[in-house]
Amino acid sequence: MPSNPPITSPSLAPCGLYVHVPFCETKCGYCDFYSVALKDRNPTPLVDCIGRELRQRVNGCAHAVRTVFFGGGTPTILPLSELARLLNFVYEAVNVRQLEEFTVEANPATVDDEKAELLVSSGVSRVSMGAQSFFRNELATLERLHSPEDIAPSVATLRRHGVGQINLDLIFGIPGQTLETWSQSLSRAIDLGPDHIACYGLTYEPGTRLTAMRRHGRMTPCDEDIEADMFLRTFDTLESAGYRQYEISNYAKPGCECRHNLLYWRNEPYIGVGPSAAGCVDGRRYKNVADVAGYVRLIERDGHAEVDSEIIDTEMLIVELVMMQLRLNEGLSIAVFRERIGVDPRDSFGEALMRLVDLGLVTVSDTHIALTRSGRLVANTVVAELAAVPRQADLALPIL
Amino acid sequence: MPDLSLIRNFSIVAHIDHGKSTLADRILEYTGVVTKREMREQFLDDMDLEREMGITIKANRATCPYPYKGRTYMLNLIDTPGHVDFHYEVSRALAACEGVLVLVDATQGVQAQTVANAFAAIEAGLSIVLVINKIDLPAARPEDIALEAEQVLGLDASHAVFTSGKTGVGMDDLFKAIVEHIPPPNGDPQGALRALIYDAKSDIHRGVICHTRVFDGTFKRGDKIDLMAAGRSFIITEVGKFTPKPGAVESLSAGEVGYFVAGIKTLVDVTIGDTLTLASNPTDRPLPGYQPPQQMVFCDFYPGMGSTTDQLREAMEKLWLNDSSYTYATVGSDALGIGFRCGFLGLLHMRIIQERLEREGNVTVVQTAPTVTYEIKLKDGTVTRIESPSELPDMSNIEEIREPFVNAQLIIPAECVGVVMQLSRERRGRHIKTEYLSPTRVMMTYDLPLCEIIYDFYDKLKSCTKGYGTADYHVRGYDPGDMVKMDILVNGVPVDALSVIVHRDKTLYRGRRLLERLKKQIDRHQFEIPLQAAIGTKVIARETIKAFRKDVTAKCYGGDITRKRKLLDKQKEGKKRMRTVGNVSIPQEAFMSILDPDD
Ligand SMILES: Nc1nc2c(ncn2[C@@H]2O[C@H](COP(=O)(O)OP(=O)(O)O)[C@@H](O)[C@H]2O)c(=O)[nH]1
Ligand code: SF4
Repeated sequence: MPSNPPITSPSLAPCGLYVHVPFCETKCGYCDFYSVALKDRNPTPLVDCIGRELRQRVNGCAHAVRTVFFGGGTPTILPLSELARLLNFVYEAVNVRQLEEFTVEANPATVDDEKAELLVSSGVSRVSMGAQSFFRNELATLERLHSPEDIAPSVATLRRHGVGQINLDLIFGIPGQTLETWSQSLSRAIDLGPDHIACYGLTYEPGTRLTAMRRHGRMTPCDEDIEADMFLRTFDTLESAGYRQYEISNYAKPGCECRHNLLYWRNEPYIGVGPSAAGCVDGRRYKNVADVAGYVRLIERDGHAEVDSEIIDTEMLIVELVMMQLRLNEGLSIAVFRERIGVDPRDSFGEALMRLVDLGLVTVSDTHIALTRSGRLVANTVVAELAAVPRQADLALPIL
Repeated sequence: MPDLSLIRNFSIVAHIDHGKSTLADRILEYTGVVTKREMREQFLDDMDLEREMGITIKANRATCPYPYKGRTYMLNLIDTPGHVDFHYEVSRALAACEGVLVLVDATQGVQAQTVANAFAAIEAGLSIVLVINKIDLPAARPEDIALEAEQVLGLDASHAVFTSGKTGVGMDDLFKAIVEHIPPPNGDPQGALRALIYDAKSDIHRGVICHTRVFDGTFKRGDKIDLMAAGRSFIITEVGKFTPKPGAVESLSAGEVGYFVAGIKTLVDVTIGDTLTLASNPTDRPLPGYQPPQQMVFCDFYPGMGSTTDQLREAMEKLWLNDSSYTYATVGSDALGIGFRCGFLGLLHMRIIQERLEREGNVTVVQTAPTVTYEIKLKDGTVTRIESPSELPDMSNIEEIREPFVNAQLIIPAECVGVVMQLSRERRGRHIKTEYLSPTRVMMTYDLPLCEIIYDFYDKLKSCTKGYGTADYHVRGYDPGDMVKMDILVNGVPVDALSVIVHRDKTLYRGRRLLERLKKQIDRHQFEIPLQAAIGTKVIARETIKAFRKDVTAKCYGGDITRKRKLLDKQKEGKKRMRTVGNVSIPQEAFMSILDPDD
């Protein structure tokens, strides 16, 4: 792998490790993650290769891994023995005692007692559960396999075995969903007492079945105004139940924010392993091939499976800092921006920033530039406005 | 001195797609001036853009030797453009010929442009060879089509030549017919020089290359010549013929077609249609020359985001030196800043120029809706012409507004007479006559306001005749009409570049449609945007673009960052085509949305 002068990350900063497990029971209609149905595939060669890449990447990285995230796909769909091997790779490669967080994604009805026990004994501290909705018809529209009744028992199983933190994912803006049913899904999630709730507006990603259906008029998307109301309702409901919004779609009880995801939003380094995984270390981002067989072949042949990589230059970094950090309620750190770009963001965004402040979309404090409540609803517009500010020549500082 | 009896000067005219370019290729190939290997498809269409749009815009040419009965004839093919907007250039080419091939597709039959072009040739007194083409097609009906041409155009069907430009069938008959039916030029090689400049092109290395047809006399390299209309003199540095690439020859004399170079720097210095004569022995009978091209369609070009007025001006100047068929003058708009009012021969012409500006000049262009010229008679009796709604004087001073009318020929299947009458009525057309070309095909003649047909009349005609209908028109003059100016307000601010002149009966309809389309073009903003159509201070139609409430990416994690960042870059690109008026970003399409009055 090419080595480049470190430009974006202070060398002692902690780093995250993302492991992509590309298997699911079946493919959900809205999902654009890379995953394939496990069916009767043999996951062993893939798990071997992920292990190999994981060792290499972790050993070759100057940053200490502090968070681990198993995503997918549905990692918990792996047979017990393979899941155990995968967890063990982490155990071997990183100092588990220094880990601040170890998350595994799961779907309802994919975690039994044995698997829950395995997770906890392997050091997993957090499970993120794709609950999505508590209504059967909404789950059907999303083409999810589980039923509303599966959610509570799965959470209970995890708790029983001592999983420290639990997140529930929910989706709003589902065709056919109403403000009322959304509120009910929210309350039922709250009733289960998770530490963290993520609420995503349904997105029509290119290339998904859902998008194709909408294009062919076989499905009517949720009205934009209703979706906006749902977004606001989410905030109000969760905040009053003690969940603080810390990112556009993420809410947590105090201290229970997802540390791993915070790395992304704070533009800190992360290693990614597995098919389709992306990593970004020392100013260079790479992406692995999104294909199980291709991944195995490349790892076996070349020792890595990168198909794309880019060096993040100053201009790109500016956009990424804005794009990611504005997602956080704390906002864009003026200090971090100054440190990494060399100028004060308030100067470089000048008039555009003031206009956004005047429109009530953004606030500027001594330490941060952040979205307001109404700004969060139109975060893309705000980011686009700031990203469009032309760079003055003096911003293209010599990088070193 | 060439033997005049061995020269034939001719053009091919045809309805678009009837195979003119293909046949021209075969002519060059069969006479050996271009080998098959060298033959690019459609050799004569030498501009990329023409190739893409599938039409020939600039007249091209070649001199082709043809041996016949022991003598070698020089067949000078003068290519003509194929679209209705370019009548002007067709007539230019015809003035250099003694004959034309009227080419008709053996499956399609006579179409509107066949009629227009054939009549232009007949009027010019040229000999006509009727060529029925594409006879290789299974659906070809060559005899029927020949009879149809006889009936419509008055050409003798028994002399028709049957060809296929694709397979080469009938090429020999074609060459024979050219030699036998098209008269050789007559002219006096010894007389005072009279040569027509029928076209000119700019060449980076040699300056301007003038395409010429010599009627009388001879000229050669070193001669001092006068351009009579321009009143300027030059020394000839090269004379030559097209084979089809320019190739120098000793001299050009009466009856011949070729080119000359004379140290003329820019196209501005040459008037197409001018007469060339020798300074030492000038003629006293200059050739009639041409009507200057008449720009009938006008619109404004403004620099898009990312381009400046100066860049656009530079691009316009450069292109104009290559192609002076359009006009331009500086204008200012509150909404769009400083730009240029441009005049075109027609809508297609407008699109081509815009494309070329963007491509060759590397600028982005925001274009306003096209309009036609209006004649304004003021109460004090003076008459002026305006090229833009913004030039309209105060209504209280206006005695009448006159709009241009065209005489249009529509050739359609007989069963479509009803829908076409309906369409023409909607466009304020006045029916003049209906003639049957055959039991199944009809030619309808209409008097129509130009402004009603410049936008989408062809498309509409095509769709209501299942693709069979064709149309051709020429402007016949101006008639008074009950016209008013309609303003469009976006967020309370009148956008001058969106104003239109419309017939009073159509204001409500046009106003509503326009706002509906604008509404689709303008994205939701952070605030509500009222759209209004107004005549004077009276609002006649209204739409609202709701403020958007939610525009936020739900998920953005490590694997999404690159893609999301690139999306932002793309959005930035998209912004280049927007203009901001009263805090509202209006995309270029919005300014064009007046284009299709019926979607
Ligand atoms: N079958 C057949 N197709 C032809 C013939 N001549 C031209 N074409 C096709 O008709 C279309 C239009 O031809 P083109 O020469 O470009 O027409 P133009 O617009 O009159 O110059 C093209 O797709 C040609 O390939 C012919 O003699 N036979
Ligand atoms: S379970 Fe999750 S990762 Fe798998 S297809 Fe469904 S949404 Fe995608």
